[in-house]
Amino acid sequence: MNAFRDTLALLSVFVVPAILVGFPLYGLVKGVPVYETFVEGAKEGFGVAVRIIPYLVAILFAIAMFRASGAMDSLVAFLAPVLAPLGFPGELLPMAIIRPLTGSGSAGLVVDMINRYGEDSILVKMAAVMFGSSETTFYVIAVYFGAINIKRTRHAIAAGLTADVAAALLSVWIVRLFYGG
Amino acid sequence: MLNYIWAGLIVSSLLFAVGNDVRDLRNDRYRNDQALPVEVSFPQGYDDTARRVPVRIRIDPAQYARFYGADEAPQESYSGALITTEEGAQLRFDAGASLPEPLATIATVSRSNDDELQGALVAFAPPGPNPVLAVPASLRFEPVRFVKLNAISGAALDFAQTAAEIAISLIGVLSLFLGMLKIAEASGVIYSLVKLVRPVLRPLFPEVPPDHPAFGMIALNITANMFGLGNAATPFGIKAMQELQKLNPSDDTATNPMVMFLAINTASVQLVPPVLLLALMGLQVNQLIFPIILTTFLGLLVAIVATKLYGRLPSVRASDPERGAAS
Repeated sequence: MNAFRDTLALLSVFVVPAILVGFPLYGLVKGVPVYETFVEGAKEGFGVAVRIIPYLVAILFAIAMFRASGAMDSLVAFLAPVLAPLGFPGELLPMAIIRPLTGSGSAGLVVDMINRYGEDSILVKMAAVMFGSSETTFYVIAVYFGAINIKRTRHAIAAGLTADVAAALLSVWIVRLFYGG
Repeated sequence: MLNYIWAGLIVSSLLFAVGNDVRDLRNDRYRNDQALPVEVSFPQGYDDTARRVPVRIRIDPAQYARFYGADEAPQESYSGALITTEEGAQLRFDAGASLPEPLATIATVSRSNDDELQGALVAFAPPGPNPVLAVPASLRFEPVRFVKLNAISGAALDFAQTAAEIAISLIGVLSLFLGMLKIAEASGVIYSLVKLVRPVLRPLFPEVPPDHPAFGMIALNITANMFGLGNAATPFGIKAMQELQKLNPSDDTATNPMVMFLAINTASVQLVPPVLLLALMGLQVNQLIFPIILTTFLGLLVAIVATKLYGRLPSVRASDPERGAAS
């Protein structure tokens, strides 16, 4: 188990250097004018970043307003009894709701829960697995669709949120499986 | 769907904000215009000619709980200053004091430089010959109304700025990796990658032609995500979307492969815990890596199945921009 983990950690250190050195080196071998090609590609960076601004503003300000309004408490109070039969602890509900909305917000919640319940508590383990196993769905949608100006997202939100709900429930069940409780 | 969620977030935040504010007003949560009993002592002596005298402020927990009907208890004592102005004496808590609710909220709302708590001192008599002995006094804070309503406007303005800052801060990393990807395209690395991952990815993206470079970009994005490299994953993901957009007959409507790619991304398969989690929890995270791997793989399965199922819904199928092109 440890060897597997260490190998993964080691590999992850090498991924970025492999790309940053490997691509130009291979290009050089293949006779590509690497500098010119790099600059040509890098030019797009600015345009892409600027293009996602309106999408990101739209998503982030709406989420920020929602969080500031204190609606979270009411939502938690409403959902807790619904999710209790599934073995989902009420203390984790804010995390499950915030996770798809904001990355920094959910990171803050993890810190908050560490302070409140202690690092070794099962709730913190569940929250950490939840944090590690899903993405900030709305941010990803804003950035990826914004970059190519897609406004009609069809079933993307439904699919993303289904994945988030699944990840939230799975983190609770799987942490229980590993650590009991 | 995004239209409804977006509007729903905005409208419900207004409703909840107003609802919470009205409730606070009716319960008189902040005890506006009433004075909180405190005790002040002067560890460095009292000087009635000085404009500013350092003080220690003590709030009796029992009295505090009775006054505000709050659960949180104040600290043993707070340091602050007694400031004499033309309008009378004012007590100012040091900035950054850890205050219980609702004092913490009152502090952030009051018009002070660093969000420190300040209030008018009433019923205060200067101490006798021994200034270290505490003297009773009362504190009246500025009235607090419509906290949440102010908060939602503030949050909206703040995060509009944050959104632009996030996007702008991406420029450098985006440029770096988009440049690298251009080299990879020109040198044929992407093409080799496409051949490598095609057997795995093709069933998920049946609409994408077998030799399309999108497969390579998707593979790079998933790899970066698996290793917890969010910075690199974003440019690869954007590039993958751009490649998918080349196949899209529509300008503004997502295709099935785009939705599938997005669902895979939100499920985010992880082999290495995200850097941020490592920063938050330290090495504790290492023992969580197997639960995380298991959760992400099962979550990925759910995401793929859900995307395929939703894709079959009549309304989703009707909006497919590739529908007309295929037949």
